[in-house]
Amino acid sequence: MFLALHEMSRARVRFGMLIGAVGLLVFLILTQQAIEGGLITGFVGALRQQSAPVLVYSVDGQRTLQGSVINPGLEAKIRGVNGVAQAGWIGQSTFTVRVGGATESDAALIGYQHPGLGDPSRLSAGRRPVGPAEAVGSAADFAIGSKVRIVASGPAAPTAPVFTVVGLAKDAQIQVTPTLFVPWAGYEAAVKAANPDATIVLPSVIAVRPVPGVADTELVDRINAASADADALTRAQAASDTPGVAQVQQSFQLIFLLYGLVVPLVTGLFFLIITFQKAAALTLLRAIGARSSALVRSLLIQVVLVVGGGIVIGIALFAPLTLVSLGAITIRFDPGAVLFWSVGLLVLGVASALVAARRVLAIDPLEATTGGGGL
Amino acid sequence: MTLVESIDTARNALEMRGITKIYTVADDVVVALDHVDLTVASDEIVALVGPSGSGKTTLCSIAGGLLSPTDGSVVVAGKEISDYSGRQLTEFRRDSVGFVFQTVNLIPFLTARENLLVVDEIGRRLGRVARDRADQLLEELGLADRAANLPAQLSGGQKQRVAIGRALMNDPSLVLFDEPTSALDSNLGDQVVHLIRNEMKARGTAAIIVTHDDRITHYADRTVHIEDGRIAK
Ligand SMILES: Nc1ncnc2c1ncn2[C@@H]1O[C@H](COP(=O)(O)OP(=O)(O)OP(=O)(O)O)[C@@H](O)[C@H]1O
Ligand SMILES: [Mg+2]
Repeated sequence: MFLALHEMSRARVRFGMLIGAVGLLVFLILTQQAIEGGLITGFVGALRQQSAPVLVYSVDGQRTLQGSVINPGLEAKIRGVNGVAQAGWIGQSTFTVRVGGATESDAALIGYQHPGLGDPSRLSAGRRPVGPAEAVGSAADFAIGSKVRIVASGPAAPTAPVFTVVGLAKDAQIQVTPTLFVPWAGYEAAVKAANPDATIVLPSVIAVRPVPGVADTELVDRINAASADADALTRAQAASDTPGVAQVQQSFQLIFLLYGLVVPLVTGLFFLIITFQKAAALTLLRAIGARSSALVRSLLIQVVLVVGGGIVIGIALFAPLTLVSLGAITIRFDPGAVLFWSVGLLVLGVASALVAARRVLAIDPLEATTGGGGL
Repeated sequence: MTLVESIDTARNALEMRGITKIYTVADDVVVALDHVDLTVASDEIVALVGPSGSGKTTLCSIAGGLLSPTDGSVVVAGKEISDYSGRQLTEFRRDSVGFVFQTVNLIPFLTARENLLVVDEIGRRLGRVARDRADQLLEELGLADRAANLPAQLSGGQKQRVAIGRALMNDPSLVLFDEPTSALDSNLGDQVVHLIRNEMKARGTAAIIVTHDDRITHYADRTVHIEDGRIAK
């Protein structure tokens, strides 16, 4: 401790700059991590928040709600699969809407046939709809009491439905669009108002709940086996297999991999350089009886202080950012991610100092007699 | 070893018997020390004089446990160290000898006082006692008002005095000074050697002072000449 702390206090600028650099990198990592989380939540949050444990798409639908259509024949096959306790329709379309007196904007409507099979699992405020003209809205976009009018043209315009937001659900957007969960009758009315030629409104997917004792994955397998046109997915799969999600995750993972290289590279090189620079002092210490393990310990104490200090600075910069919203994307302070990166960067930092530690272990105290002290 | 002999041994700070050191670099063989016998009594100051390359530093390195001899026995304060392992030698250097080296002697990022305290920090960790000892040494060496200075803020003579204090911090049985005055002008060198003698005699500590400079030798109790790795009789 003595050597480690005294050296740092005598070279405050140098160590301060390194701690600052690590802090900035930690800040960038945490921010990118939060942006990734916010982006994916914006894309598929509604799928994660909805209450049906299993969703069955049509194979043609390419695992998107908008692309998938379930015809009555396929629906009958799904309902007939052994292990299905309950099945219901879920429909999704995007509409032009007017919220209150505001200008026109887009909103996604998710219609569900049965409460508990496609409506949000949890509300962050308000209550669930009791009539077809009531809705639960994505919390980032709507307020309780908001009136959302479907914009329609032609003869249907006067009868276009107006939804009243009675409840809110967090992280419940689909396709980064303001999203409303409405009972099926309301959804059907909206589709018919926007598209007067529609005679019947088909569901996009079938929401299914297994009987007790049958696992979600087991039911998924059975449904997929029952029909070549059915593409059954668990709730989590439906979110992660939505086109684009995996690509976004891969891109971010590449970025994180680069950070995972840059941080230990910066700390590793720094400590290697200062180990070279103070080689004469380290040689002297070994010559007067310091154990090499004590010198390595002093090095590791500095690494932990530098990376730890950087993490504290990074979190301090990141935390206020989570209080604001970046456009449509919500930045969340995720303690799990912060802990993961803190521990991970500490481990990487210590590992990066091993090269410097090897140099310390290789010091020959005899060189103090010649004043060499070169490593 | 008889009882009389072992008491004798304990009385001596250093006993070297038949010390040979051979360096082999590539195919070249350098005999740096050739059957050296040297005894330093427990409170004796020995000046070691000889031309460059004669083996003075090599001798000190072996006496101080920095280097193991190719052959022969080294007993420091009653301890036979020639067979010590690396770890045992580290402990020996930490607890039993003091060094003032030819060139680098101070840790640049520690103040004068901390350069003394670091000895306690890597060693016995006496805390309060060590701090008192450091302050006393700095006082004796005329450095009380320079205690908080970094080495870069000290003159050559002051640095050398801090190094002497550092070498005495662990209360050693033997202090090895390798050309302690080579970087100083003769006047300052004279002062420093004077100081060394006072400190050694006040503590009854043995010392070997390596020097080229014959003027310094009158501060020593005895002068030993070395040439081509052999002690001149
Ligand atoms: N590590 C080494 N490897 C090979 N040869 C060495 C080594 N150290 C010293 N020598 C050789 O051993 C001999 C004695 O060297 P030493 O350093 O003991 O001399 P010295 O009397 O201290 O000289 P100086 O007064 O110049 O300091 C020299 O010939 C030197 O070249
Ligand atoms: Mg020498």
